[in-house]
Amino acid sequence: MNRSLGLNAALVAVVAFFVVLVGLPFWWVVSGSFKIPQEIIARSPTMIPQSFTLQHYQKLFEASDYPVYLVNSLIVAASSTVLTLLLAIPAAYAFFRLVFPGRGILYRTILLAYAFPSIVVLIPLFGLFAKVGLVDRLPALVIVNVAFALPFSIWMLRSFLAGVPKEIEEAAVMDGAPTLTILRRIMIPLIAPGIASVGIYAFVTAWTEYVFASVLILSDAKRTLPVGFSGIIGQYQIDWGLLLAGATVAIVPVVAIFALIGRGFVSGLTEGAVK
Amino acid sequence: MQQTRALAFVLVAPALLFLAATLGWPLVQAVQLSLQDVRVIGAPGAFVGLDNYSRVLSNPSFWNAAWLSVVWVVANAVLQTVLALAVALVLNEKFPGVRVARTWVILTWIVPTVVVVVIWRWLFSTSGGMINPLLIQAGIVERPVGFFATPWTAMATLVFINSWRWFPFIALMMLAGLTRIPDDLYEAARIDGANAWQRFRRITWPLLAPTLGVLAVIGTLLSFNVFDIIWLLTSGGPAGGSRTLPVLIYETAFKGYRLSEAATVSVLATLLLMAFAVVATRALDRGDDR
Amino acid sequence: MKSILKLALATTMLMPVAALAQEPVEVTLWHMEQPPHRVARVQELIDAFNAANPDIVVKQEPQNWGEVYAKAPAALAAGQGPDMLFAIPDFTPILKDIGALTSVEDFVKELDAKHDFVDSTVEAYSYDGGVWAVPLYNMAMNLWYRKSVLEEAGIEAPTTWEEWRAAAEKLSVDGVSGMGLPANKQLYTDQTVYSVMVNGGATEIYNEDGTLRFDNPETVGAYEFYADLNTFSPADSTSWTWGEAEACFSSKACAMVMQFSVIATYDTQAEGDAADLGVAAIPSKDGGEHNTISYANAVMLLSKDEAKMEASKKFVSFLLEPENYGRFLNMEPGLFMPVTADGAEAETFWADPMVEKYREQIETVIDNAQNGRLFGFTSGRTFPSIAAISAQNIIAETLQSIVVSGQSAAEAVTAGQARMQEVAQ
Repeated sequence: MNRSLGLNAALVAVVAFFVVLVGLPFWWVVSGSFKIPQEIIARSPTMIPQSFTLQHYQKLFEASDYPVYLVNSLIVAASSTVLTLLLAIPAAYAFFRLVFPGRGILYRTILLAYAFPSIVVLIPLFGLFAKVGLVDRLPALVIVNVAFALPFSIWMLRSFLAGVPKEIEEAAVMDGAPTLTILRRIMIPLIAPGIASVGIYAFVTAWTEYVFASVLILSDAKRTLPVGFSGIIGQYQIDWGLLLAGATVAIVPVVAIFALIGRGFVSGLTEGAVK
Repeated sequence: MQQTRALAFVLVAPALLFLAATLGWPLVQAVQLSLQDVRVIGAPGAFVGLDNYSRVLSNPSFWNAAWLSVVWVVANAVLQTVLALAVALVLNEKFPGVRVARTWVILTWIVPTVVVVVIWRWLFSTSGGMINPLLIQAGIVERPVGFFATPWTAMATLVFINSWRWFPFIALMMLAGLTRIPDDLYEAARIDGANAWQRFRRITWPLLAPTLGVLAVIGTLLSFNVFDIIWLLTSGGPAGGSRTLPVLIYETAFKGYRLSEAATVSVLATLLLMAFAVVATRALDRGDDR
Repeated sequence: MKSILKLALATTMLMPVAALAQEPVEVTLWHMEQPPHRVARVQELIDAFNAANPDIVVKQEPQNWGEVYAKAPAALAAGQGPDMLFAIPDFTPILKDIGALTSVEDFVKELDAKHDFVDSTVEAYSYDGGVWAVPLYNMAMNLWYRKSVLEEAGIEAPTTWEEWRAAAEKLSVDGVSGMGLPANKQLYTDQTVYSVMVNGGATEIYNEDGTLRFDNPETVGAYEFYADLNTFSPADSTSWTWGEAEACFSSKACAMVMQFSVIATYDTQAEGDAADLGVAAIPSKDGGEHNTISYANAVMLLSKDEAKMEASKKFVSFLLEPENYGRFLNMEPGLFMPVTADGAEAETFWADPMVEKYREQIETVIDNAQNGRLFGFTSGRTFPSIAAISAQNIIAETLQSIVVSGQSAAEAVTAGQARMQEVAQ
């Protein structure tokens, strides 16, 4: 495609703006985590570190259970993703393809799940989990995260399914394939990129969740990364260096994961149909 | 037909039952709680009918919070749409590095909220924060600014931070809509001599509108419920200037220890959102039928 | 032979019972001292205790002040609460209200006989005919400055409000804030505002009959003065918590701050020159007696099970023994002050290198704490509504009405009392 000079200039300007908007805060955080304390709180901050120290990281790993939090977060996020997909794919297909009474109303009701402040359910859920012995256990977090990711996931998957050309499915129906086989053999492979994006959506929802994880988990050994991170803030003093190191370490794993599968996520989103 | 119904039931039931147990049932409990006078979790409460409702509805701080919630939602919607649309339009172009950009634009969305909060709290602070010195150097302000010092600036700053976290996700959803606009439409327009703005106005915008509509509905619901960013940064202050409904609910339940009253505010907020969702989806459906 | 067999049989039958009796009692401690080095120090003490008491196993689960207000009642209601839970004065009434606490008056008396508690620390947990928690460490507000900075400006540490204001004004040069004072709707601001109130004759917020007397000329005067002094603070003081004040002082962006202690950050994040760090009592209105807020932290004992309760008491007694107590306090050197007379003399307390280095400052801080008060817990006038007033930070909220919303001090204080009445219902 040929673009005019003006359009190109605008493009460069917009890209530069967003690189600064997204990149600069991250640069400040990561570079700050290697500065000595005096430089971090200096009245005239430095763009490029004038000092270098690993003391914040040393403190972080010596004294806190960061690796444990990390593993917990990975377990919770991965399980949430799998469970979300297991529930969402069949439901989305039924809503998309099968005709049954109450379909329209049910579909709409599912989206209404986002229509109430999530903290409303915090207390009743705590009571419920207490009854079934799930307080202070990671499955409780998985359940909560799936509940929050599920409605949007069903909705997204349904629109991905709608993007599959009709002819392909019709051909299979003509061949007399049972519905479930069509779903498994034809539809799922066709919307695989879409499934990947929904999976990442569920993963990120679980990965970043804080309020529920902070209340439902009581013991240190079961904390997730966001809660563990907030724990190093401290009531009376703020150790900015430690916090910046903590922030960096909290960012790195998901950046790494994203580096591996991020491309799939984006291509999934852009190739599937969202209507 | 009978078989299809049974199959549909089998496919949909697990998801529905799951949502009913985790969200539906607690919501019923919240309604129940709103009709009692429980103060602290675990304490007994007597049935008081609609007392809590009349108290909440006559309380100016409820209406103030409702108003701030509207401001919050609208401001977020506007800022996120502008940022996201700009990003989506750019990423829909072809230029060197666009694939990398498409992947990494998402960076701010995958960072845990708590971390986002700490990052910005530090950057905006006057001791060690980067923003103030930058603004002073650029000659925009003379003295350090307190970003959370007045209700108005606190709200604006919060909107900025929340949008900073969410715009990439919205942008990618928009990009998904954009990539499905066939290239030949643009080619045809170009041959007709339409300029960039006309192409945007006549092709991109109308074809993107349905996607934007759905995103607006879901985005509104999601951003209405944002709680952690506001609570962790300003706790609803200063002077109640950022106390939206979710903040009010949390404050009433866990600071004021009026659990039933908090449940009442929640139920009212839910009704408000449901009304919005129903009206909005109707409007979208009508748009679809055309 | 038969009898031997019988004996053997009896022994084996008894064995499980004996084993059961030896099963150690497990008790859980929740505290909110979450920074890693504090957790590590608490663990050292727990390890020592567990080793000395094979029949008891203490374990800790650090929590966060931000969440514990929601979490503790929920966990207790679900039967998953801790056996020991650290407390600040406004937290205890909430748990007492849901029936989670029994009075530990006798236990505190016993400890008092042994260690001699600072009175104000017990007072903050005594009401409704009981003592509801055991004081563990004290914190009192002080005025911190750099001697060299004051010298350069040619001033002495202020002792009256007039001098204080003049000093703040004089020190506000070259982008430095003369006096860093918070104006956030948050506990830190509650503490600093009240510290000014107690130095302006507005100590009592209740009358003897439990009605509020917050709205009085002394309170208004204190707020007026505080709001005025706040104009010499950085622009973001309305969102300050303790940490921002310390950072401001450490980076020399604030010439003076009001804070429990700045020692730890001053030593690690600033120049760390002990000879230059100045600390003074909070100036009083007319230079009379200097008062301060004293914020005693304590531990609540929650077990319904007698064996666990005994085990918890044993652990608390252990912590307050002078040979352990100093190490406990020094989990954050210079911040946590002793609540007992023998603790203030404990060798373990003064032996810490940081405490040794800042001995002069810490002695002043302990002295100042003797005149400590806490809003809602003064002169035996303690009423349950103080929990709600405190939890919703109404003292700080009143300040924001002046500093942020531009009301006059008189208006704001009147509205503040109305708010207190509203939440007390």
